[in-house]
Amino acid sequence: MKKTKTKTEKLHEVSFTLNEKKVSCKIKASVLLLDLIRDVFELKGTKPGCGEGECGACTVLINGAPVNSCLFLAVNADGKNITTIEGLTKSDGSLHPVQESLVAHGAVQCGFCTSGMAMSIKGLMNQYENSHNVPGEIKNGIPSRDEIKKHLEGNLCRCTGYVKIIDAAEAMFKQEQ
Amino acid sequence: MNFEIINPGTTKELLAAVKKFQKENFRFGAGCTDFLMELKKNPSEGLTVINLSQVKDAQFNGLKKSVKGLRMGAMLTAHKIVMNEEIKNKYPVLHNAAESLASTQIRQVATVGGNMCTASPSGDIACALASLQADCELLSTTGKIRNVNINSFFAGLRKTVLKKNEILYGISIPANIKSTKNIFSNFIKVGTRRSMECSVVSLAYHIQTDSNGIIIKAGAAIGASAPTIRFAATACDFLIGKKFKNITQKEKEEFAEKVLSYASPITDIRATAGYRKEVLFNISKSIFE
Ligand SMILES: Cc1cc2nc3c(=O)[nH]c(=O)nc-3n(C[C@H](O)[C@H](O)[C@H](O)COP(=O)(O)OP(=O)(O)OC[C@H]3O[C@@H](n4cnc5c(N)ncnc54)[C@H](O)[C@@H]3O)c2cc1C
Ligand code: FES
Ligand code: FES
Repeated sequence: MKKTKTKTEKLHEVSFTLNEKKVSCKIKASVLLLDLIRDVFELKGTKPGCGEGECGACTVLINGAPVNSCLFLAVNADGKNITTIEGLTKSDGSLHPVQESLVAHGAVQCGFCTSGMAMSIKGLMNQYENSHNVPGEIKNGIPSRDEIKKHLEGNLCRCTGYVKIIDAAEAMFKQEQ
Repeated sequence: MNFEIINPGTTKELLAAVKKFQKENFRFGAGCTDFLMELKKNPSEGLTVINLSQVKDAQFNGLKKSVKGLRMGAMLTAHKIVMNEEIKNKYPVLHNAAESLASTQIRQVATVGGNMCTASPSGDIACALASLQADCELLSTTGKIRNVNINSFFAGLRKTVLKKNEILYGISIPANIKSTKNIFSNFIKVGTRRSMECSVVSLAYHIQTDSNGIIIKAGAAIGASAPTIRFAATACDFLIGKKFKNITQKEKEEFAEKVLSYASPITDIRATAGYRKEVLFNISKSIFE
C-alpha cells in the first residue's frame, strides 16, 4: 500500500553576520543564499542571472571570499560572515574604492553585472591581504593584469567588453598599494 | 527543488546519519556545485541531503604533508589546492587542474571529494589525481577505512565503487621519488572556453626524471575521452628508461598512439569523436616539445 506523506517541512535556524550586522532566521533546507538575501533580507543589489554558476551576477563574499550565492545553500551561511554589495559602501554612504574606480573608468553600462564584478574584485583584494596570514600561501604585491583577468573569468558582462572593468580593477590596486 | 537536510557537526555524527538513512533516499552535499545543478534540473522526491560542509574534522577538511607524500581531506576546496605552495612546486599537474576548474567563485566551494565522487569523465582534479596515482580512503559506517587506488575508484559514467554506507574520506598522493631531479608535470585542457567549461578532451601528466634526464616514473591520464577518466598505463610504461629530451618523433607518436588506445570518445554537442581523438593524439605528442 502506498503511503502519501504529508510531512510538513522542517525549518532550520541560521544565524550569521550580514554586512556587519548579526541576523538570524528560520528557513527551509532548500533555500539558496541568493533568495535569502534578496527575498528575506530585501537586499536587491545581489543579482539573479543564470542561476547556474556561470555569470557571477550573484557574487557575494563569504568570510571575505567570492562565492556564487545561486549555488550556495543558505543553511551553510550559519556562523559565517557575509558581505553583499550593500555592505561594500561605507556607513556614511560613500563608495568603496572598488566602486569609485568602476565609476571613474566608465566600467558600468546597464549595471546588471556590476555588483558581482565589484564583489569579485573586492574578493581578490582580500585574498592578497589575507594570504600573508595563511601558512603555505604567500602572495606579494598586487595582482597583475593577467591575474585580474583570470580572477574575473566567472563574471560575465554583456555590455562593456571587459576592458574598462579590468582597467578599473588594475587602477584601484595600484592606487591602494 | 525540495529536500530535507541533516547537518552533522562531527565525523561520528556523520557516520551515524549515514547509518540511519541507509534505507532512505539520501545524497551527500559537499560544495554542492554539481549537486545543486543536478537537482535544479531533475528534482528528486523525498530526498534528504547529508550535509558534509559543517563537519569539523581536520582529516576531512585539511591537507597534510608527510614523508609518504601528501594527504588531502575529501572536503579540501579547489581554491585551497590552487593556493598551496607545496602542490604548486611538487605536483604542478594538480595545481594547474584545480586552477582550470570553473571560476574563482566555484573554486572557493568546490571540493576535491565532490570532483571525484561526481565521477564525470571531464573532472579536472580527478584527472590530475589519476595521473598521480592517488589512493582513496573510503570510510564506512562501521568506522573502518578501505583503501582503493584511483584506477579502481571509477566504476563507469558517473559511477564509483563507493557503497551506500561509505563516504570518500581522504585522498593521498605518493611523494615524488627521492632521486628525481626534474618534473615534467602539467594539465592540458582543451575546451571552447578556457575555464568555466567542461573539457572537450584533457590530458594530465606527471613525469619524473633522474639526474641524467632518464624517465624513472611516469603517470598520464585522459579526461573526457571515455566513460571514465583513464590512466594510460602502457603509454607510461613505454616511457620508463628513455631520456626525456631525446625522445624521437617516432617515439612521440608511439606514445600518443598508446594514450589514444585508452580513449573511446563520443560525439556530442561540444565535439565529434574524431576531433577528440585527433586533439588527444596531438596534445600527447606535444608534451615532449
Ligand atoms: C558553472 C560550473 C562550471 C564547472 N566547471 C568545472 C570544470 O571546469 N571542471 C570540473 O572538473 N568541474 C566543473 N564543474 C563541476 C563541479 O563544480 C566540480 O565537479 C566540483 O569539484 C564538485 O565539487 P562539490 O564539492 O561542489 O561537489 P557536490 O556537488 O557537493 O557533490 C558532487 C557529488 O559527489 C558526492 N560527494 C561529494 N563529496 C563526497 C564524499 N566525500 N563522499 C561521497 N560522496 C561525495 C555528492 O553526493 C554528489 O553526488 C563546474 C560546475 C559548474 C556549476
Ligand atoms: S546567477 Fe549565480 S552565477 Fe549566474
Ligand atoms: S554593464 Fe551590462 S552586463 Fe555588464
